[in-house]
Amino acid sequence: MRSFYQIIALLIKDFTAELRTKELFTSMIVFVLLTLVTFNFAFSGSRLSLEVTVGAIWVAFLFAANLGLSRSFVREVDKNCLEGLLLCPAERYVIYFGKAAGNLIFILTVELLTLPILPLFFSNNSLLKDPIKLFGVFILGSAGISFIGTLFSAMTANLKARELLLPLLAFPVLTPVLIASVKLTLYLANPSPIYEPGRWLQLLIVYDIIFSVLAYITFEFVVEE
Amino acid sequence: MSKRDEVISWITLGLALLAVYLSLIYTPFINEPKLIPRVAQKIFYFHVPGAWVGFLAFFVVFVCSIAFLKTSDRRYDSIAQVSAEIGIIFSTITLVTGPIWGKAAWGAWWDWGEPRLVTFLVLWLLYIGYLILNRSVAEDFRRARYAAVFGIVAFVDVPIVFLSVRWYRTVHPSQPILERGGLSPEMKLAFFLSLFVFTVLFYLILKTRLSLFNMEDEVKEIKEKMEE
Repeated sequence: MRSFYQIIALLIKDFTAELRTKELFTSMIVFVLLTLVTFNFAFSGSRLSLEVTVGAIWVAFLFAANLGLSRSFVREVDKNCLEGLLLCPAERYVIYFGKAAGNLIFILTVELLTLPILPLFFSNNSLLKDPIKLFGVFILGSAGISFIGTLFSAMTANLKARELLLPLLAFPVLTPVLIASVKLTLYLANPSPIYEPGRWLQLLIVYDIIFSVLAYITFEFVVEE
Repeated sequence: MSKRDEVISWITLGLALLAVYLSLIYTPFINEPKLIPRVAQKIFYFHVPGAWVGFLAFFVVFVCSIAFLKTSDRRYDSIAQVSAEIGIIFSTITLVTGPIWGKAAWGAWWDWGEPRLVTFLVLWLLYIGYLILNRSVAEDFRRARYAAVFGIVAFVDVPIVFLSVRWYRTVHPSQPILERGGLSPEMKLAFFLSLFVFTVLFYLILKTRLSLFNMEDEVKEIKEKMEE
């Protein structure tokens, strides 16, 4: 229970810091919009199939998440806050889960804010057929991104090539998350059994569990001095 | 290289030549009307052992990564790094020979719906990332720890990637070649010999590269001392 309160405290800290500058939210949202606009131009404004649309949306989300994740630990490292954080009378995993939860909420907020614009951009109304379930898919997919991303963000924050390295490490590991999230989003827009939602849902949940446990075990080695 | 390894090297060289002879000349062609797919099937004797050694090497990375995090023994870190390099080379063999065979047999270089193909590409990308990570951290102990964590995460990810890509349609000859009565005794002999040679080769390269690696380390230490 004590760990839980510590995680909440860490969350509040991250939100307070973010609300003061709002740099992350603003740039992530603008980045998603920009990616979608760029996609539209790249596809020559043709009417896109549902598959392409959903794929483009998830790529935009992944890129934006990467943007946010790469800042997550850099902020701590740049101002020497990480040392302070590590000196807190809290377990290492508390720091990890606090950070991961913060990142998850950032990513989800960006996704939720861009959600209403999506049908407008792609003139495809079926996307929002089942917004509540869609939000569930967003949570599961973004949790996967955030669990892996937070671990790697802590790793790369100390390095010179950090912005370069994070996507290089994270994207291949996140392949299953991307595939499963796209499939589930497709299913919600067009409920046809060919998308086999059951197994993708299982895969996504199993992925989230495995990698949160793995990060829980390995995080202390990443931040250890 | 120790006396024993030298003997093993020479024996391996002989066996390797024998394996090349067996797989290219001794084994019969598969039953196939067109010439090109018939010839291309010979890739099988190098393609599959390459994949096997790739997996073996990455498994070694995984085991050594865990061992390093548990013991902080530098030796495990060296083995993991070297093994990843070798794994990349062997999986590159598989990645290059695969499309050549694919073009001949399926008429396409690449198929995104093929789980083993795509998984292998992701696997390859993962360990390229591992090597880049290894070269971007200046501090030695920190580098070793990061690499170990990534080595574990990457290996755990592979089966999940495979599963996720498999749930498309499949055209890769999974069992066909091996089970449909397709492998004659001659083919089996050539294949298993090739598999054996590839594995011993992995061991030999690992040993050689490891001693080179340790020498590099020594040179680094001497340099540091001289600068002081």
